[in-house]
Amino acid sequence: MNTQDTRRPSGKKLSLKEKYAQMTRGLGWDTTYEPMDKVFDQLGLEGIKIHDWDKWEDPFRLTMDAYWKYQAEKERKLYAVLDAFQQNNGHLNISDARYVNTLKLFFTGITPAEYNAHRLFSMLGRQFPGPGAAIACQMQAVDELRHVQTQIHCISQYNKYFNGLHDHTVMNDRLWYLSVPKSFFEDAISSGPFEQIIAISFALEYLLTNLVFMPFMSGAAYNGDMATVTFGFSSQSDEARHMTLGLECIKFVLEQDPGNAAIIQRYLDKWFWRGYKVLGLVSMMLDYMLPKKVMSWKEAWDIYFVQNGGSLFNDLSRYGLRMPKYWEQSVAEAEHLSHQTWNAFYNFSGAAAFHVWLPSDEDMAWLAEKYPNTFDQHYRPRIEHYRKLQAEGKRYYNPSLPMLCQTCQTPLIFTEMDDPTRTSHRQLEHDGDTYHFCSDGCRDIFAGQPDKYVSAWLPAHQILQGNCVEPGAEAAGDPGADALRYFHVVAGQDNLDYEGSPDEANWLRWKGLDKMPPAAAA
Amino acid sequence: MSYTVTIEPLGASFDVAEGQTLLDGALRHGIYLPHACCHGLCGTCKVRVVDGEVNHGDASPFALMDLERDEGHCLACCATPEGDVVIEADIDEEPDQRPIPLRDFSGRVAALQDLTPTIKGVTIALDGDGLDFQAGQYVNLGWPGLAQPRAFSLANAPADGRLVELNIRRVPGGEATGYIHERLQVGDPVTVSGPLGRFFVRKSDPQPILFMAGGSGLSSPRSMILDLLHTDGDTRPITLVYGARNRAELYYHEDFVELAARHPNFRYLPALSEPTADCAWDGATGFVHDAAWTLFDGDFRGHKAYLCGPPPMIESGIRTLMKGRLFERDIHTEKFLSAADAAQQSRSPLFKNL
Repeated sequence: MNTQDTRRPSGKKLSLKEKYAQMTRGLGWDTTYEPMDKVFDQLGLEGIKIHDWDKWEDPFRLTMDAYWKYQAEKERKLYAVLDAFQQNNGHLNISDARYVNTLKLFFTGITPAEYNAHRLFSMLGRQFPGPGAAIACQMQAVDELRHVQTQIHCISQYNKYFNGLHDHTVMNDRLWYLSVPKSFFEDAISSGPFEQIIAISFALEYLLTNLVFMPFMSGAAYNGDMATVTFGFSSQSDEARHMTLGLECIKFVLEQDPGNAAIIQRYLDKWFWRGYKVLGLVSMMLDYMLPKKVMSWKEAWDIYFVQNGGSLFNDLSRYGLRMPKYWEQSVAEAEHLSHQTWNAFYNFSGAAAFHVWLPSDEDMAWLAEKYPNTFDQHYRPRIEHYRKLQAEGKRYYNPSLPMLCQTCQTPLIFTEMDDPTRTSHRQLEHDGDTYHFCSDGCRDIFAGQPDKYVSAWLPAHQILQGNCVEPGAEAAGDPGADALRYFHVVAGQDNLDYEGSPDEANWLRWKGLDKMPPAAAA
Repeated sequence: MSYTVTIEPLGASFDVAEGQTLLDGALRHGIYLPHACCHGLCGTCKVRVVDGEVNHGDASPFALMDLERDEGHCLACCATPEGDVVIEADIDEEPDQRPIPLRDFSGRVAALQDLTPTIKGVTIALDGDGLDFQAGQYVNLGWPGLAQPRAFSLANAPADGRLVELNIRRVPGGEATGYIHERLQVGDPVTVSGPLGRFFVRKSDPQPILFMAGGSGLSSPRSMILDLLHTDGDTRPITLVYGARNRAELYYHEDFVELAARHPNFRYLPALSEPTADCAWDGATGFVHDAAWTLFDGDFRGHKAYLCGPPPMIESGIRTLMKGRLFERDIHTEKFLSAADAAQQSRSPLFKNL
């Protein structure tokens, strides 16, 4: 018997890394017609110093033809599932029509953000002179575009049956609460290239992405939404590259120059807080909007940020970095965040493109169990009060417009963490004007770049200034009605309570729940 | 029931328990495989099964597609072996690592020496043609009546493999090290399996070398330094910073002083962390990492560093080196981990090997 080792007939086989290096050698070159710093003109603006782009190790080693092959199969698989979902009336298999309201929030808030991410990475790919970084950004730009498309296909499926999904792009531009995720991405896309990649690839894709995807996808699975589970899995299979890009980038930048660490820390402080503020919407989805619950916001924050994020920052501390500023506050607030966010939407559901409802007794028992320190004490009495008012036909709507935070654009709906009866409100004077903030974190971010944030487009201010009137339409004179029309929210159909909505009536009819129980046959 | 997993191109093998994932097994045996989400969704840990069968577990059909399954790929984070398997992973092959097959030897204790009050020098004469190994590697040592063999680094240079030397610190309450310190006798039969481990000098890298060692972690650096100076006649600058608690715990001190006198490219800096009046010590005091920082004036750029010792010493060493601008690609470590240490580690995927 031949016992020779035939696995390496020529003695040595090239490793995957060596093969890739051979194939891609010489792809990056220095320009000669134009000086390099003119071609890559944004690189020096942030103070980040890069001495040697060759030290960037391409962690992906993915060729374009392999990329297309993989992505094509993902597409085939996804659309097969979506077709089956459609043909089998998959929308009837979800746990309850209330569930679709989480999708409305996701599709109007996150889907357009994915498109902005596509734009961002297209621009980033142009800005980095290293071919490894440039190609990673280019592939991610294509990924993000694919995510938008798959989500739009899901929207068109749900839009046939449920209200509030008919105009996600306009809503993202105009709806007041969607300015929170929108401003996050526009803040990122208008930053320098290194800040962009730290904001999106590191803070969002690595540190916080599990908080959007894991609870949301599990929530979809628990609630019978196979279409969303499938596009979620399809998107998340691209996340490997996206997360790796974030990790590779931060190591590369930190190792290039000792002066870079202070700048990176500033970016981490800022983008952790910016991202955390966007996640307030996720906390409400988890605790108040899934008919079948997966985990509480507090549990999700503990696993995905405190534990996973903690071990990451422990490793980063070797580079002299520390946990992001105010992270302790995010942990303390986990006891309150979802309850206060939900309360705001209950108050302002007249101006939202999705429905709200009061938690049932069963829901409240779950909330009390998950939030033993706060729910019964602070939040149950308020819900019971709302319930009493509703029973008396006096459903409470807040008639005012909320003050918005100049940085994150969230209404000032949160309280001081050591006193849940006092609104958290910070102010800062700048150039003779007073600016208002929801938190110390947002005030600090403003103070770092005041000229950027003074130009924020704040929906509440714009409504009061008369700037939220549908172009071409005649102003009704009632700012509330004008604003709804401007948002493309159909009053009485997309907004208000789930109870009594057309969504509810349709659902009951489809499921045969609207008929009286058949009388016993005589 | 356990299965053997072999990882190519390293050729490294280890056992995993039934139901244990490939990734978990590899990480627990000190082999880094790229990974991120750890629950089958992202695909970072994709490897190819060259031989054997695995259960794909909860691998997402998007992270591991049918065409990839057909080609034999699996996700290490959720794949469990159904028998012995060989997998090929996208990890760097080390040109300086010699592929030496693991072998089992019998032998006898040839000499015992109290190196310090807590460290015993054990010399073992092996039967047969001796152990081929790379300086820095370790062996599993066993004797009749010991259920589970214990790992110890080789302290001698590999030139003659028939006599192997181990420096064994007594672990308080430790069954095996207690036996070695109290009952092991010259002439006792022992078994030795080796060589094991991926701690070795990257000789093809021309940069000056810094060794940092603490306690009985001196054994590997000693083997490596003797190999470089005596066997190779290496002339690049080599520095050993060695830390012990007090003078009595500082061993092979005279040997290294003499070695430094004979080899102008070798520099030896011992440091005592808790010197007493009895030590009559006028050398460096403090921890190894602080002594190294002072010696190099906070700039470690352009070196290769090899660290060997207990986990807190390694961690302080890594932090100090990184502060002095030396990073993962130039830092190599051998941690002395107990099973409890390994289970407690919660690490992010930021670093591959550190």
